[in-house]
Amino acid sequence: MELLGRQEVWNITYDHALGETASYFFTQIRDNGKIFGRRCAKSNKVLVPPRAFSDETLLPTTEWVEVGPGGRVEAFTFVYEQFNNLPPPPYAFGYVLLDGADTALGGYFKGVDLTNPREAAEALAIGTRVVTKFAEQRKGDVLDFWFEVA
Amino acid sequence: MTDRVGIIGIGQSNFRSRRDDASYPDLVREAVVPAMLDAGLDFDAIDAVVYSLSPDAMVGIGNAERLGVDAVGGRNKRFLRINTGGATGISSVTAAYYHIASGVCDVVLTAGADKVGECGDSQTVLNKIWDPTYERALPLGTINMLAMSAVRYMQRYGMTEEDMAYVTVKNRRQAALNPRAHLRKMVTIDDVMDSRVISWPIKLMDCCPQSTGGAAMVLASEQFIRDNNLDAVWITGVACRAETYWMGDRMGNNPTAEHADAYALGRSFAQSYRMAGITDPAKQVHIAELYAPFSNTEYHAIDAAGLVANFGDSIKRLRDGEFELGGRVPVNPSGGTLCTNAIAVTAMARVAETALQVWGRAGAHQVDGARVGIASGNGGDHQIFGTMVIEA
Amino acid sequence: MAYRVRPAVVGCAIRPAITERTRSLEEIIYDISQAALADAGLTIEDIDGIVVGCNDQFDGRAISVMMASGPTGGVDRDILSTPSSSEHAFILGALRVASGQFRTQLVVAWSPTEASSLSEAQRLGADPYFHRALPLDELSSHALQASALSHVWPNAWIFAETVAVKNRRHAALAWPDPPARPRAGPARWPLTERLTTQPVTGAVAMVLAGQPFVRERAFEAPAWLRGMGWATEAAFLGDRDLTTAPALKEAARQAYAEAGIADPTAAFDVVEITDATGYAELIAYDALGLASRAEIAPRMAEGWFARGGRLPVNLSGGVIAFNPVFCTGMIRIAEIANQVRGRAGPHQSPGVRLGLAQAGSGFAMQYQSAIVLGADA
Repeated sequence: MELLGRQEVWNITYDHALGETASYFFTQIRDNGKIFGRRCAKSNKVLVPPRAFSDETLLPTTEWVEVGPGGRVEAFTFVYEQFNNLPPPPYAFGYVLLDGADTALGGYFKGVDLTNPREAAEALAIGTRVVTKFAEQRKGDVLDFWFEVA
Repeated sequence: MTDRVGIIGIGQSNFRSRRDDASYPDLVREAVVPAMLDAGLDFDAIDAVVYSLSPDAMVGIGNAERLGVDAVGGRNKRFLRINTGGATGISSVTAAYYHIASGVCDVVLTAGADKVGECGDSQTVLNKIWDPTYERALPLGTINMLAMSAVRYMQRYGMTEEDMAYVTVKNRRQAALNPRAHLRKMVTIDDVMDSRVISWPIKLMDCCPQSTGGAAMVLASEQFIRDNNLDAVWITGVACRAETYWMGDRMGNNPTAEHADAYALGRSFAQSYRMAGITDPAKQVHIAELYAPFSNTEYHAIDAAGLVANFGDSIKRLRDGEFELGGRVPVNPSGGTLCTNAIAVTAMARVAETALQVWGRAGAHQVDGARVGIASGNGGDHQIFGTMVIEA
Repeated sequence: MAYRVRPAVVGCAIRPAITERTRSLEEIIYDISQAALADAGLTIEDIDGIVVGCNDQFDGRAISVMMASGPTGGVDRDILSTPSSSEHAFILGALRVASGQFRTQLVVAWSPTEASSLSEAQRLGADPYFHRALPLDELSSHALQASALSHVWPNAWIFAETVAVKNRRHAALAWPDPPARPRAGPARWPLTERLTTQPVTGAVAMVLAGQPFVRERAFEAPAWLRGMGWATEAAFLGDRDLTTAPALKEAARQAYAEAGIADPTAAFDVVEITDATGYAELIAYDALGLASRAEIAPRMAEGWFARGGRLPVNLSGGVIAFNPVFCTGMIRIAEIANQVRGRAGPHQSPGVRLGLAQAGSGFAMQYQSAIVLGADA
């Protein structure tokens, strides 16, 4: 009994409105190489990346706070596997608590030797100080910055 | 007491990587028929269907539940679909529970299937669950998300890669006894430690497979069960809780939910236990099917289920044999999600397996004398959790 | 099959057309959720659970409930999602309140227009086995239904166009300052461009509460759930008689039985129907027992379904007014709730005691729901 198959590809482009809060965040990165968080007055937490409201208090956030460029590693992983439409391995990425922020921001870690993951894990151990680096040419995008060990 | 909700029928596929012989609706049907036979009912008796289906992109059909209508005998019947990511299966049983607990329905069928093996690679689809504003550009996927949880759990509680391997070894040994499981080959600690690193510290054998297959369950009101002299097990506790979607908020200064732990899972279990009247789960629970698609996550699931006194105690106690067949509270005697993961129904399989256990029908992987069991499901970026207590 | 606890709608917020791009989708969901809570005079602490109705392909997210959990107040709360339709979110929310295990539920739905082509997104709903190669999006499915009906009723087009004119007239009264000017839909034979409206972004949210909570907080004019029915047609269009809506007949049967309604033409003060096209509204009249096919012409001639008539349908203007595709179903329910609560604004019908909302979704209205809301518990 011959079994047939059929190939289908999902291909839809989305034009997502970023809203004022995210737009400010990205224009600051693009134009000034600075990272900003947004404070919730009730919890007093500076949320990074910034949001128009806190999902904990459900109140609108109230002020912009510049954060970083220094920070500490909160989480990391090293990827050694190729997945469709994701970058070629190996790469390191994770989350960093920038100075002045209360929540951690995701980004790539560059400049880490990934030959031996256990050694790399020590180099990026939680708490390690890092610094934010910015690309020369920036688009207003999460890939405009990354983190390196300080 | 005549207002409980019971489980009267269960059906599951023998899960595999690919099923070139079956279309997606065929797989649903394959689980529905045995569930109906198990319940001893005709489709006429079904008042409503709750369809279990997580990301459409996995099966490659938008609103694929529409295609499943005939497979579940749903024409002209009450029908709706649930999607809470990986927790979908348990959320579907939960929704079915409320159809009955509301007083509106007496008998509800919940069913679904997945063809994860067919979608090319699931991490590509799962990358799309993150928000396009800030995080889509990062190569996030469920594997590396939980690798980061592992890194934090290692720092907080001293878990090692070897500790993770212990979970895989245990679950594979148990899956070998379960004809429904996908990965049934036993492995050693060395096998796991030697397997290639996917996203450190998670290695290939620390990961769940991409499984294909279906699951179905029939629930009924206590009145219907008594009126028709049916055999049943009972859902005595049910709850659901979400934590923040933002992983970075589960780190940093005083997070409410810690990414190493499973905060909302703990909250959901607490609510289910309250409902079921369980005050000391470590002593009162006999079997647990806890959703854990990666070996490290079984630890925080055990912690969150209150099966140990303190977070992190699960590591040593698992090594001591407390959570395997023959131990104090066998966890994932079916092999769990680590050995079988057809995403749309994997959390339903947790409920199904728990029900089979307290029913005494789990076959070779039966936990002797089990009468009180718990099941859990996780969805999204480790964000939405569902829990149940099931009793004989 | 009585509800253990009778649910009521105590708050609504409807934004049927959002044209500015100043708020992200997450922020839109936050706004509508907060608005519904404000309308109910409640805070998130009063909410025991949430159900959202949203579509991954429209939203551009593989699990759209994840992103919604924050803005709807789902953090550290119980949240579920019904991507099958927005009206299913209402239904599940109502079932949860009816169980007595939740004092309240917040139900929220939204429909963005960020996809390059909603038609493309909808076409992904056609099965890859037999139908994906066809241009089968929702508009095509409505056209197929219109074509089938026209075959057995050659004058159907006259009445379909009349329905559209009626609903547009209602819209002009309901929205003296409309949030958007509706743009005519493309023609797709036999549908003329007058019979549909281009999709817009929209959002809707409702707060449900059980009888004890309603009493405790002394809500002034809740809209009580008197009856609820829902069903689905078969999956393949080819398996269906597209001139009829048996799933809607069944949904109506369930709802009328619960509400104790023998004669729907006499029982209801207002009706909202999901007029994906005027043809869909005609088919719904029949399936809901408001007018059989033979009765439609004389009843329309008598102005039954127009404002001021015996059984006004779509005083809100319906879908021809605004088409936030995915949430049109829940909007129908919210509109009826508002009519019963006396909060419908410019299109309020005086003295509404009992209303009917019909919600239809999917290819040629595959999913059908009928909700009866009334002023009495």
